[in-house]
Amino acid sequence: MTTSLENLETRQIDPTKPLLEVDRLVMHYKIKAGEVSAIEDVSFTVHQGEAVGLVGESGCGKTSVALSLLRLLPSNAEYISGEIRFNGEDLLYLSPEEMRQHRWKDIAMVFQGAMNSWNPVYRVGDQIRETLDTHYRGAMSYDQQREHMERLFSSVGLTPEMLDRYPHEFSGGMRQRAVIAMALACSPELIIADEPTTALDVIVQDQILKELKRIQAELGMSIIYISHDIAVIAEVTDSLGVMYAGKLVEYGPTSTIFARPRHPYAYLLLRSTPSISGPRRELAPLEGEPPNLLSPPTGCRFHPRCPFATDKCVTDEPPLEEIGGGHRVACWHHEQVPELEEALHR
Amino acid sequence: MFKFLAGRLAQMAILFVVFLSLVWLLLQAMPGDISDTLTANPAIPIEARAELRAQLGLDQPLFVQYFTYITNFFRGEMGASFSRYPQEVADILWTALPRTLVLFLSATLLAFWLGFKSGKMIAWGRGERSEQGLIVSGIFLQTVFYPWFAIVMLWFFGFALGWFPIGRFIDARLWQGSPYNANDVFGQMIVSVIVVTVLYVIGRFLIKRFSNNLLTQIRFGQGLAILAVGGLLLFWWLNPARDYVADIAHHTMLPVITLALVAFGAIMLLTRAAMLETLGEDYILTARAKGLPDWVIRDRHAARNAMLPVTTSLVLALAFVIGGGIVTETIFSWPGMGLIFLQAIAVSDLPLAIGALSITGVLALFGHLLADVLYAMLDPRIRIT
Amino acid sequence: MIPPPIAADDEHAPIGQTDPEGVSTRELTGGADLATVPMWRIRLRLLRRSLGMMWGLFRGNRMGMLGLGLIATFAAMAIAHPILMATVWEPRVYDPVHGYDAVITEYTVVEGEPSDPATEISLNQARLEMNPTIDVGETIFIPTQPAPPTLTGETPHFLGTDARGRDILSQLLFSTQAAFFLGAVAALTTVFIATTVGAIAAYFGGWIDGGLMRFADLILLMPLLPVLIVLSAVLDMSMLLLGLIIGVLSGFGGVAIVLKSQALSITVKSYIDAARVAGGGHWHVIFRHIIPNVLPLSFLFMMFGVTEAIAIESTLSFFGLLNVDMTWGIMINSAQNNGYLLSGTSYWWLLFPAGLAVTFICFGFFLVGRGMDEVVNPRLRSR
Repeated sequence: MTTSLENLETRQIDPTKPLLEVDRLVMHYKIKAGEVSAIEDVSFTVHQGEAVGLVGESGCGKTSVALSLLRLLPSNAEYISGEIRFNGEDLLYLSPEEMRQHRWKDIAMVFQGAMNSWNPVYRVGDQIRETLDTHYRGAMSYDQQREHMERLFSSVGLTPEMLDRYPHEFSGGMRQRAVIAMALACSPELIIADEPTTALDVIVQDQILKELKRIQAELGMSIIYISHDIAVIAEVTDSLGVMYAGKLVEYGPTSTIFARPRHPYAYLLLRSTPSISGPRRELAPLEGEPPNLLSPPTGCRFHPRCPFATDKCVTDEPPLEEIGGGHRVACWHHEQVPELEEALHR
Repeated sequence: MFKFLAGRLAQMAILFVVFLSLVWLLLQAMPGDISDTLTANPAIPIEARAELRAQLGLDQPLFVQYFTYITNFFRGEMGASFSRYPQEVADILWTALPRTLVLFLSATLLAFWLGFKSGKMIAWGRGERSEQGLIVSGIFLQTVFYPWFAIVMLWFFGFALGWFPIGRFIDARLWQGSPYNANDVFGQMIVSVIVVTVLYVIGRFLIKRFSNNLLTQIRFGQGLAILAVGGLLLFWWLNPARDYVADIAHHTMLPVITLALVAFGAIMLLTRAAMLETLGEDYILTARAKGLPDWVIRDRHAARNAMLPVTTSLVLALAFVIGGGIVTETIFSWPGMGLIFLQAIAVSDLPLAIGALSITGVLALFGHLLADVLYAMLDPRIRIT
Repeated sequence: MIPPPIAADDEHAPIGQTDPEGVSTRELTGGADLATVPMWRIRLRLLRRSLGMMWGLFRGNRMGMLGLGLIATFAAMAIAHPILMATVWEPRVYDPVHGYDAVITEYTVVEGEPSDPATEISLNQARLEMNPTIDVGETIFIPTQPAPPTLTGETPHFLGTDARGRDILSQLLFSTQAAFFLGAVAALTTVFIATTVGAIAAYFGGWIDGGLMRFADLILLMPLLPVLIVLSAVLDMSMLLLGLIIGVLSGFGGVAIVLKSQALSITVKSYIDAARVAGGGHWHVIFRHIIPNVLPLSFLFMMFGVTEAIAIESTLSFFGLLNVDMTWGIMINSAQNNGYLLSGTSYWWLLFPAGLAVTFICFGFFLVGRGMDEVVNPRLRSR
């Protein structure tokens, strides 16, 4: 399946320049019962050509962050403070029409359960063509569009005839590939992949991930991976952010975080899956449940489940602090975390 | 697609024969038979009654009678009407059928067009004040007592405001001495509308063929529609029968509007519910993420899918439209099949009544078939497996 | 939805099990040892709990409560009538079918045209209507029927009288009973049949399902009103018979199809398999497991069934096809027979009360049905 992407736009990337900057973002959902603190003070940067991962349990806010980048949250989501800067421009201050123009053309998304991203009554090709009609109005002729779509399809390993089929005629894996092709249609600078491999079997999972990685490298795109599956994240990302209960608790280069997780939650998360090839060690289970964000815990939101929790953790929220080499942690006791490792090894 | 159609047609044919049989059974269930009515005079000798029965074929075994009845129906022979003797039932119904069809189709199309549009709009702008008011009016229209509503409409718009004539098909005084026959003119009107519609459909098809841009397709389609309607109006304006045509049209409007209004309420609510359901689907979120304009998401994605459950419900709505048609025709004295049916029942003109009931069954059947075909056209998951 | 019953077929509930919505076993047994509490009591408590929950949800629904209010009003009307007849109203005057009261209006006879038609009458007309020997200046008394509403006097008629001198209000209240009766009979029959048919079709599947659904298609094919028109010409249609016929015809039709797909979604749930494995027979599973979970939806259709039945009955009465004494439809029918149909505002009491009564009782039941729809179908709930 080595197909060339050479005719799709490749761009020159400068890995030091930031593409997307999420700066102290705070977002609450307004519901009948009160306010849900869904995103609290989340900050991270995605550079050009970089692959960033966001992990966390269901409900930790990672999908909310992703949807915020495209301003796709429902009307009861209120942004209290913070900025989302894309190439310097704050997306939160754009009018709906201006935001609409950024969508797909600059930032595209591959949704969770991407199989259902397709409207069942239109052909797949027509649904991809829609994006071209909207964002390249008049610039591409019908035939040029067709050519472009055929190239997209072959780049994800699908035959051009499938463009004329309806979504229900595709298999699950094929639909996933088609969704990726559609995401690439307008050559975006950033793709957000929300749980791109859930509900796929492991073999297809592997293929899709490799595909994405290749495309990203060849086209010079940035990707944000959202997943609760750490194994997936580990393989394909350069940087990794761990989210818990709406807060970013740890952030840094993927290899660093995997080798030396310094937040208790991140540590327990990474150590909760057995490793086939690594050293044998005891599994460290994560007890309890994620907190209710309608009335979150005081201080550090993780303290009810944390083995290191002290009084300070209940009263004061730890800030996200740099501990070296781009590695940031939000914990009062991050230095003690290596002790856990030793305890388990014994 | 054709296999699907053929299968459905066969199913329908069987169902219809069963329906006819039930109707015939009903006929048999009634006490006595035709000969009793015709020979009620005690002065008629008994032998004459026996002979009459033999003439009418009533002395044959039941099975033979049944068979004759069914085959006669499909041959189009439904006997002679009692109350309008010697007119044949088939002839009476043949004249009345187009009128009823016009009433049904116009009312249904009008109700669907308005109801779908408004239901779609309401669902899209969820949560505003005006929504509650419209929903309540929709419910009111759906639950209002229809005969009463029709009476009020007739009184208000016909009698009080005088905008429309008070029932009836034509203004008899206008037509006195006219060279035209009302049925013929009506028939011509129907033909003209059908011709224009067919041309329009062909035109739309050609547009799709020759242009690939969605926007030009829509613009040309709208232009074509205006051309079609304009052309039709112009044709009748220039026609010497103009005043008569206007008279018939004028008499048709109020019944159609009344029937349409009530169906409109139901369709609007249904569309709203279907839209709300559809708007929660994943592909709508994807459509928003793709940066598509609002109207594209609302109309081409959400509404298009919402049409599916609405079409299914159209089938159930058929029963209402038929019943509503009977009431409408009665109150507006509009001489369609419903009115004839009711009048026949009132005077125990059984052949006419049963004939009308059977034709109603045929109509219902075709309505079902149409809805099925429409659904298959709309949902590729049914067409293509 | 009512949560599934806890145990499959045991006499006692398995230990420590909690239901999906978070009831603890402790709540259900009231603290006693689980093994000692009989199944029926636990089921009853579960039922009461889910009913309480649904009522709580329903109460927040404005439309549903409005509908409930309307129905309650009509119920009060139905009860009010026999009470009024027994106490305040004199049967000779106020009986809805046989009563008679002519409102006597006093007119002064004038020369030529009367300037005030309410109190004056022309000479010619007076001579024609009453007394050929009467003369100008004298007063004559003419019974007016239908009479406009009168609020005072010995026999007040709050809504006037009809063309035969019968009190409209009395007719209105009396007909409410018939409406409720018919609605109840028709709706209960429909739901009973449709639920059973749906559950059986969903459970057994195969040709039973196919056959029942084909039959339902046939029923759907037949438009209800024309068929009923023919039947009422053939049979002597009483309210009970009409209700039963409507119930049977609707029950096997569209409602059965919808309830069957609902039952189908329950059939595939695992606790059905559990029940079967535990030894439950076919009918046990159907009546104890499937049907209780279809019931909320059935109840919903019952509301709409009442609406439909009352509307149909009123239409048939309006056509004069039913053999009943007095219903709202007959009120309008008698207005038509006496030529007052297009009188609009001049004789409004002949047309509007009856028409509005049918409309508002249907409106009320429909609103309740919609309110219930939001309770049963969580997707329509506002956030």
